[in-house]
Amino acid sequence: MPDYVRKKLLLVDFDKITEYLVERIREYIKESGKEGGIVGLSGGIDSSVTAVLLSKATKNAYFLLMPSSSTPHQDLQHAYSILKLVNATEKNYSVINIDEITSLFSKAAGTDDKLVVGNIKARVRMILLYAFAQKHNYLVVGTGDKSELMLGYFTKYGDGGVDILPIGDLYKTQVRALGLHLGIPEEIVKKPPSPALWEGQTAEGEIGLDYETIDSILYLKFEEMLDEETISKMTNTDISLINRIIKMVKTSQHKRLPPEIFRLSGRAINSDWRYPRQWG
Amino acid sequence: MGLRVELAQIRPKLGDVTHNFQKHIEIINTSSADCVVFPELSLTGYVLRDLVFEIYKESEKAVNKLSEHSKCVIAGLVKEVRPGILRNSAAVIIEGKIDYIYKFYLPTYGLFEERRYFQPGDPRTDLRIYEYKGYKFGVTICEDAWHYEPIEALALMGAEVIMIPAASPMRRLSSTLAIKEQWEALLKAHSIINGVWSVFVNTVGSQEEEFFWGGSMVVSPLGEIISTAKLFEEDRIITEINLNEVRKNRFFSSFRDHLQGFHEVLHKL
Repeated sequence: MPDYVRKKLLLVDFDKITEYLVERIREYIKESGKEGGIVGLSGGIDSSVTAVLLSKATKNAYFLLMPSSSTPHQDLQHAYSILKLVNATEKNYSVINIDEITSLFSKAAGTDDKLVVGNIKARVRMILLYAFAQKHNYLVVGTGDKSELMLGYFTKYGDGGVDILPIGDLYKTQVRALGLHLGIPEEIVKKPPSPALWEGQTAEGEIGLDYETIDSILYLKFEEMLDEETISKMTNTDISLINRIIKMVKTSQHKRLPPEIFRLSGRAINSDWRYPRQWG
Repeated sequence: MGLRVELAQIRPKLGDVTHNFQKHIEIINTSSADCVVFPELSLTGYVLRDLVFEIYKESEKAVNKLSEHSKCVIAGLVKEVRPGILRNSAAVIIEGKIDYIYKFYLPTYGLFEERRYFQPGDPRTDLRIYEYKGYKFGVTICEDAWHYEPIEALALMGAEVIMIPAASPMRRLSSTLAIKEQWEALLKAHSIINGVWSVFVNTVGSQEEEFFWGGSMVVSPLGEIISTAKLFEEDRIITEINLNEVRKNRFFSSFRDHLQGFHEVLHKL
């Protein structure tokens, strides 16, 4: 990561960021009339950070561990270590193996394609999170970070199907730094991020760049609005890789937007309405 | 012989200046008209939102390239008038020379967000009249035709023809296409009151959630719809316009009278 970007992204006050995010989660739960929040805990850095923030915001935090056959054993252990870190008791977490449900969906869909099955897993987890959330009158607290959201590196209505995204404006490298700040074990912070939708899947392996470089490119292109050649020089990265990242952001825009409604009336829901969430 | 004007009702690809430029070139190269008029923001598409920051330079370069090919062409682009200041513009290209027209009234109601991105033109400096093959014409962009002053000013400055590149989306669908009837009424009124030919060229096709209905048309100074392009699909129509119709209107109308006092009153309201 170039020094210039490091200063912008990492020389920030993580105490203040924590205080702000915790307060916003607390406020959002209250304003939406919910009693708490639930988070799916995978043992990765994003869900670990989100779990800690949630547990700081409310006593009513619930954690769902939903391993499958493609979940590395180590991830499950890491998830348990986070449960310990947030002082979770048996009352506020559950472990549900999703292999059986996933296999029913895959059979019904008549496919064993790893990408399709991987997305089914993410959506099965979303359904379970909402079922538990509704049972408890809780919010579903999402774990996506800015890097993943921008790259479209999430499943629509899977891990993308949540009520709030507290760390959605922090890049992966910032989430890691925040994780260290919050006392999350270094082995969780430092392990390569992975959705673990199939065995051996890692984000950096799939994308072909490490997150420090990815975040530098995303920041320089979409926040500083620099051109590709300048970014290539600043990050010492081949321009084809820069273009690849930009393309990922562009082609995944539909995943970040609500479904398109074809206009007929004078007051269409998406394009005309500007009502806030706090409406009525 | 009148002035032959081609209404190039195209379906621009949003943000794809290269594609849109190619389409402009194809049409210009195959047109037998004197003037080819494209819709508002024809080189870029309309519902750009933050894409404006990515395409404005390219759209200006495309206009420069268009000027190598054209006799009289009106095309839509985003122009940077000063560093960081963008305007919704129409390039007027006559015999290789380029000039720019800026939109005065920027809609920011309902689905529109133009004031977020663009600076409006200033009537005191940006009203322009052009002459080609003995015809004087003015250009005013879409929303400007929903106000009296821009077209009235251009007509009093000498325009006999008003070209109106537009990006009018479909909305309020009832038993009829209400927006189309509204445009017909507007154009008829402008033409009759000001004794001008109104040449309305609309975008067609979908961009994001909006659908542009096409239906470009030419209205004579007597308020008659002389030609119309297809609804909902790309179309090219050529209409010959002449000065006799302008004279017929103006001999027997009070177009020449303009009581400044009304504007003084309006200004104070």
